[in-house]
Amino acid sequence: MKELPEIFKILYDASLEFVVIGGAAMHLQGSAYVTKDIDFCYSRTPENIKRLATSLAPYHPRLRGAPAELPFTFDSRAIAQGLNFTLATDLGDLDFLGEVTGLGSYKEVKAAADTQIIDGIPVLVLSLSGLIKTKKAAGRARDLYVLPELEGLELLKRKTGVE
Amino acid sequence: MTPEQRKLAYELITDPPPGSKLAEAKKWGVDLTLLYENLQRTPTERARCFASMVHSYNGLRDAAKKSTLSQ
Repeated sequence: MKELPEIFKILYDASLEFVVIGGAAMHLQGSAYVTKDIDFCYSRTPENIKRLATSLAPYHPRLRGAPAELPFTFDSRAIAQGLNFTLATDLGDLDFLGEVTGLGSYKEVKAAADTQIIDGIPVLVLSLSGLIKTKKAAGRARDLYVLPELEGLELLKRKTGVE
Repeated sequence: MTPEQRKLAYELITDPPPGSKLAEAKKWGVDLTLLYENLQRTPTERARCFASMVHSYNGLRDAAKKSTLSQ
């Protein structure tokens, strides 16, 4: 797996509109949670869909868990026809979601995000309050399990003023 | 993190205010020292640390798989 800053740079250089969500966002916000994939919410405009397809093409995106013989090309058409994609790529396991439970589409997710400067690049990362909202809305055992940590972390950051 | 922020964060994780979300997290079993450590890192350092944690996680998972298969 490529390191997060390198992945962010590839997407940033492609002018992709994205927000880091899920476990990676939790970690970037200070959580000790470990996940094996990186989740993004992406804008569904035709231009951004094209950017997403173009930026990932060199890294051989394929559907994670699907049979190898299943014909699939992660191009603009496939992205436009789908919504959420769980991909295995040469960069690592990357998930791109068009909508996020509890928040909505890219516009709403972006409004709930903080900008973090990572290796000199501005990266939108879902805020702790946004993460808490999505976890509560998803309501699965694995989501509810991390709520006490996220809520404790939110208090810790608020009291100390740490970013 | 400034020295003042570090001192306050340490006080909060070692003695969370009763009834607070931090106290609840501690009761739930969250290791607050890990949050304290992670908050001392810059966003770039946290991002760099993420990949090494994923590698460790994958290594453990693969080892567990091999162990299960060999039994």
